[in-house]
Amino acid sequence: MAAITLKNIIKSYDKTQVVKGIDLAIEDGEFVVLVGPSGCGKSTTLRMIAGLEQPTSGDIIIGDRVVNDIEPQDRNIAMVFQNYALYPHKSVKENIVFALRRLKVDNEEIERRLSEISEMLQLEELLDRKPADLSGGQRQRVAMGRAIIREADVFLFDEPLSNLDSKLRSHMRTEIGKIHNKFGRTSVYVTHDQVEAMTLADKVVVLHDGYIAQSGTPMEIYLNPTNIFVAQFIGSPSMNIIEGTLFNDYLDIDGYHLPREQLSNVVYQASIPDSGLKVKVGIRPDFFNDKAFFSETEAAFNFTNLTIDLIEPMGFDKEILFNLAGGSVKARLDLRSEIKRGGEIDLLVDLSRVLIFDYQTEQRL
Amino acid sequence: MIGKRTITGRIGFALAVLLLVSFSLLPFAQILSTSLKHQYDWGNPSLIPQTINLDAYKELLGLTEAKKVEIPAAIQKILNNPKLPQDKKDAIAAKYMSNDNLFPFGKYMLNSVIFSVGAATFSLVFSVMGAYSISRLRFKGQVVIQRSVLFVYMVGGVLLMVPLYQMAMNIGLASSLWGSAFCLFLIYIVQTLPVGMYMLGNYFRGIPFALEEAAMMDGCSRKEAIIKVVLPLSLPMLATVFIYCFIIGWNEYLFASVFLKQYPEFHTLPLALQELFVSKNAIWDRIMAASMLTLAPIVICFLFASRFMKGGKTDGGVKG
Repeated sequence: MAAITLKNIIKSYDKTQVVKGIDLAIEDGEFVVLVGPSGCGKSTTLRMIAGLEQPTSGDIIIGDRVVNDIEPQDRNIAMVFQNYALYPHKSVKENIVFALRRLKVDNEEIERRLSEISEMLQLEELLDRKPADLSGGQRQRVAMGRAIIREADVFLFDEPLSNLDSKLRSHMRTEIGKIHNKFGRTSVYVTHDQVEAMTLADKVVVLHDGYIAQSGTPMEIYLNPTNIFVAQFIGSPSMNIIEGTLFNDYLDIDGYHLPREQLSNVVYQASIPDSGLKVKVGIRPDFFNDKAFFSETEAAFNFTNLTIDLIEPMGFDKEILFNLAGGSVKARLDLRSEIKRGGEIDLLVDLSRVLIFDYQTEQRL
Repeated sequence: MIGKRTITGRIGFALAVLLLVSFSLLPFAQILSTSLKHQYDWGNPSLIPQTINLDAYKELLGLTEAKKVEIPAAIQKILNNPKLPQDKKDAIAAKYMSNDNLFPFGKYMLNSVIFSVGAATFSLVFSVMGAYSISRLRFKGQVVIQRSVLFVYMVGGVLLMVPLYQMAMNIGLASSLWGSAFCLFLIYIVQTLPVGMYMLGNYFRGIPFALEEAAMMDGCSRKEAIIKVVLPLSLPMLATVFIYCFIIGWNEYLFASVFLKQYPEFHTLPLALQELFVSKNAIWDRIMAASMLTLAPIVICFLFASRFMKGGKTDGGVKG
């Protein structure tokens, strides 16, 4: 068990900086998910924690040791690789117990832990097979077993589910969550999939272009993103960004006037010129509701007579596209809404969920 | 035409293959046939001996009983002369008693085995180290080293024979038996190393580095990761490289003829065969039997190796 601290970590390859200064504190037993688009430096950061890459500058502290100069094998870390990296010449059993054999753990103990883990991961039938004879999901479970059996201080996951099909992925995601609850080890999980980030994490760290764009609990990140990048990266479908103008009393979007005092999430204090302040407004598709099923309250604003451009039925949900302030805006309604393309609809928006961002810097106001 | 072949096409193909195979196998059949023939049968063009004669093999492998050599009566008389000192007598007796017209095939074979297996073993070890470093490590001058190793391979042996021998003379190695043997050893290693390194280097590149990383995460040092993961996965290629080096050493004549000329007891098989051709033992069945026995280990090697060369060793380890 160990906490991990990253202090101003920078990593450059030749002249390109990949990680541009990351400070991060991971508590003992915490499940932290590093999420971001490809090339944001999340895998590199994980590999530096593992010791497979050397940081160009900065310190990595695991437990109470600065591990910069400690070889990966001496860090007591277990890792699940994106491509599984099972030893093809060894059976499933030997793959899993490889580390224990190396540590000369006695046979009884090995068998005990092996049976516990193979039962948990449903690998009992597969122990004598070679990795080549396994399906993707089975290989994934073997890779998990190999990491868990070590009882290491820290678990690292490098996009472990990205090679699985979507059904298996959600199943394994649940399994990983269960395993974490059972063992409670400090875990760092890298993914580009925001669903995995939201569902698994105690703390989500959104990386963008080598920096931490925001870190916090999944709900903080979802409800209170600090910039447009995070707002759009987390949440599916992603947040609508609409151009608007902020006045002292109201927020103008395409002629609709949203009363300022109801926008409880807009905490902008500086004075606003009479001509208004151009801003970007963020509204999640999930916070639109069909007026036909919801009553108009103080805190809700009614966008009237919107023309529906497109309907995407998803089963329980349907997503509709309409035009607002010159841009295409998406709303997620439930199955009750009876709508057709080209028709008109009134939508209610919870005003406390409306966010505004600076037009230039795209930071929250 | 979706891979469908007509009957005539198939027959034509089979005939072509047959022709090619028999063309390359005929000389070997000739060797085998002659080695099994009796003297009266040698002129017979048929490849099948009238009766099988294994004497040549028995003789070469030392399976014949040592012939009791009778000392001629005239010589016996000389030996009985009491005036002659004992050491002279022994020398004369030895001259007639000795069996040195026998061809010490076993000894030559042992020499060949020592040289080629020894050189191949060292070459393999160095190849592994070299191949790993050029395929996995980054260091200054890597490209230069990679290229210059190949350069060694581009220069033919004939060109280097004289300068190498001269160098061995200059540092005094060629004047002693062990020095010469050492030089030959070194030459075989240097000759086979470039190809060994290239074959292995390319093979190592095909093994995902993630496997080594996984081993390191499992607590192995880099060296252990190589020994426990990379080498077991490379077995087919290790066997191939070893056999390649072994065959080069086994068949090598040129350098051996220069460096071992003065040390007949250290001659390797190719040298010995050459001698057999020009010696008083130049009897066809024996020459051919010796050739056959020289060939045998290589054939065995290939058969053995093909069992190792089942591909797909690294399948299933990684995905994506």
